[in-house]
Amino acid sequence: MRETLRYVASRLATTFLIVLGAMILLFALSALVPGDPATALLGPAATPEYVQRFIQEMGLDQPWYRRLFSFMGNVFVGNLGTDVLSGQPVTRIIANVLPYTFILTFSSIGLAVAFGVPLGCYAATHRGSLLDHLLAFVSVAFIAIPSFVIAIFLLLIFAIWLDWLPVMGAGEAGNWFDQAQRLILPTIALSVGWIGFIARLVRSSMLETMGENFIRLSRAYGLSNRLITYKYALKNACIPTLAVLGMGVGRLLGGAVLVEIVFSRPGLGRLMFDAISTRNFPVLQGTVLVVVLIFVLTNLLVDLSYAAIDPRIRRQGSR
Amino acid sequence: MNPDLPMITIRNLKLDARTEHGPAHILRGIDLEFGRGRIVGVVGESGSGKSTLVSCLLRLLPSNIERLEGEILFDGIDLLKLSPSDMNDWRGRKIAMVFQDPMTALNPLFTINTHLRDVLKRRFPQISAREARERSLAMLTKVGISDASVRLDAYPHQLSGGMRQRIVIAMALLVEPDLLLADEPTTALDATVEAQIVDLFDQLRQDFSGSIVFISHHLGLVAELCDDLCVMYGGTIVETGPVAEVLARPRHPYTRALLDCEIEDDHGGRLATIPGEVPSATWAMDACIFASRCAHVADICRRGPTVLETVAIGHKAACKRSREVLP
Repeated sequence: MRETLRYVASRLATTFLIVLGAMILLFALSALVPGDPATALLGPAATPEYVQRFIQEMGLDQPWYRRLFSFMGNVFVGNLGTDVLSGQPVTRIIANVLPYTFILTFSSIGLAVAFGVPLGCYAATHRGSLLDHLLAFVSVAFIAIPSFVIAIFLLLIFAIWLDWLPVMGAGEAGNWFDQAQRLILPTIALSVGWIGFIARLVRSSMLETMGENFIRLSRAYGLSNRLITYKYALKNACIPTLAVLGMGVGRLLGGAVLVEIVFSRPGLGRLMFDAISTRNFPVLQGTVLVVVLIFVLTNLLVDLSYAAIDPRIRRQGSR
Repeated sequence: MNPDLPMITIRNLKLDARTEHGPAHILRGIDLEFGRGRIVGVVGESGSGKSTLVSCLLRLLPSNIERLEGEILFDGIDLLKLSPSDMNDWRGRKIAMVFQDPMTALNPLFTINTHLRDVLKRRFPQISAREARERSLAMLTKVGISDASVRLDAYPHQLSGGMRQRIVIAMALLVEPDLLLADEPTTALDATVEAQIVDLFDQLRQDFSGSIVFISHHLGLVAELCDDLCVMYGGTIVETGPVAEVLARPRHPYTRALLDCEIEDDHGGRLATIPGEVPSATWAMDACIFASRCAHVADICRRGPTVLETVAIGHKAACKRSREVLP
C-alpha cells in the first residue's frame, strides 16, 4: 500500500512538472512568433494609436519575465486570457466546447476498445482463420483511410441516401436523444481506424504472451482455453494496448478537427483550427494548454492503471 | 487396472519435425515402460530428445510436428489416440508437470494464490476458495516454504528462483497426479539450491504414490534420486535399467563415456569429454547412432541401426559389441 501511494505521488509530481514545462514552452512560442503580435492581430488597417492602446492593454510592453509570471499566475487561477475577437474570456469559450470533445473522444475510444479487444483476442486464438485474415486486411485498410474520408462516406450513406440519422451539428442543448443520435456517425468515423489498430495490437501482444512459459504451464495443467485467454493472457496483453490508448486520447482531443468540420460539430480541434486561421493567439494558447493538460492527465491515468495491473511497476516506482 | 502391468508403456514412439532441410527425426523410436511409484531418470545431452519425450507424454507439442507415431499407453489407454479435449482432461488431473525455468513459469501479474487456486479448482471443481487456500498453505509448508501465508499472497517477482521452483512443485503435488513430469527442474538454479530441490524430491517420494519422470543432464543427480535410469542419445534410448545396476555395470559405451565425464580421473583431475558431435537429426540412421563418436566402433556397428537388447534382468542396452567391449 505504501509502495502504491509513493508511486502515485511520484507520478503526480512528474505530471505537474510536465504541465509547467508546457506552459513555459507555450509562452516562449508566443514570444518567438515573428512579427509584432498586436499588428498581426489587428491587421494592417489599424491606426498606430489603436495598436499602442492594444499593446498596453494586453501588457505586451512589459518585460518578458513579468509577462511569463502573470501568464502562469493567471493560468493557475483558471484565467486563460481574453478572446481578442469576441472579447469573451477564453476559459468560457473552451468550457463551452469541451463537453462535445470529451464525449466524442471517449465514445470513440470506448467503441474502439469494445470491438478491438475481442477481435484481437479472437484473431490471436484462431490464427490463420478466415476472420484473422479478414481482420488483417480490413484493419490495415481502415488504419490507412483518413477518418474524414470515412466521415464523408458515412454522411453520404446514412444521412443522405438512407436518411436514418440526423447529422449536422451536435444537437439541441438539453435534448439527450438528439445529441446521442448525432454522436453516432462521428464516433464511428473516428473509431474504425482505432478498432483496427487495437485489434492488431491485441492480437500481436496476445500471440507473444501465448508463447510464454507460464501459458505453457497453464496448458500443462489443463486449464480451460477461456481461462487462459481471457484471464491469464489478456491481462499481460493489456499493457501495450493501454499505452496506445493513452496516445489515442491525446490524438483525438485535438485531432478530431476534420471530422468535427465534416459534421459541423463544435470541439477543441475546431476551436484550435479557427484560432490559427484568425491568428487569435489567446484562444490558441488556451486551447493548446487544455489539450496538454487533458493529455497529461490521461497518461497519468494510464500509468496508474499499469501499476494496478503489473505489480512489478509499483515496485519500480518506489525506488 | 491391472497392478502387474506397467503404468506407462511407450512403444516405438517416433516424432519428426518439419525443418528447411527436410524432416528432423527428434524421436527415432522410443521403447520404455515403468510401473507405479517409480522415479525414472532420463539423462542425455541437449538435443537428445528427452524434453520432447516429456512433451509427448503431455501431448503439448510445437506446431511444426510432421509425424507422430507409436503408442503411449497410460494404464492401458493410448494417449496419442485420445481426442484433444479428452487429452486435456488428463492434464492437471493424472499428469502434472514441473518446468525447467522457474523464473518464467509463473505469470508475473498474478499472485501465487491465484495460480494454485485455479489449478486446484480445475482438478477439484467442488473445492471452495477457502479450502483451496488451506490446501495451498499446507502444501507450501510441505515443500519447505517458510511464512507460507505471506508467500501465498506474494507475486512471483517477490520470490527467489528456488522458492518459485518449490511453488511449481507444490502446484504439481496439489493436483495429486499419477504421473509427475519434471523437465530439468534444477538446471536453472544455483548449485546449493539445486541440492535443496533434489532433497525435496527425495522427501516427497515418501507420501507421493505416483511415478516421476525426472529429466536431467546430470548423471550424479539421477543416481541419487531415481530408481530407474534411461539414457538417451540422438532421439533414441541407448540404455535403460535400474539405476544401481546401470551405473555399476554400464553396457553401452555412451553411458560409460557419460560416467567418465562425471568422475574426475586420477591424472590432474581433468574431466573427460566425448569427442565428436551428435549426428544431425535429419540423418536417416543407417548405422548405430553412436558409431561416429564411439571409441569401440567396428564394421558391424556401421551395418544397420542397433536395437535395445536385454543384457540382464530389467537392463537393456543398444550396442552390438556390448559383450566384447564392456563385459
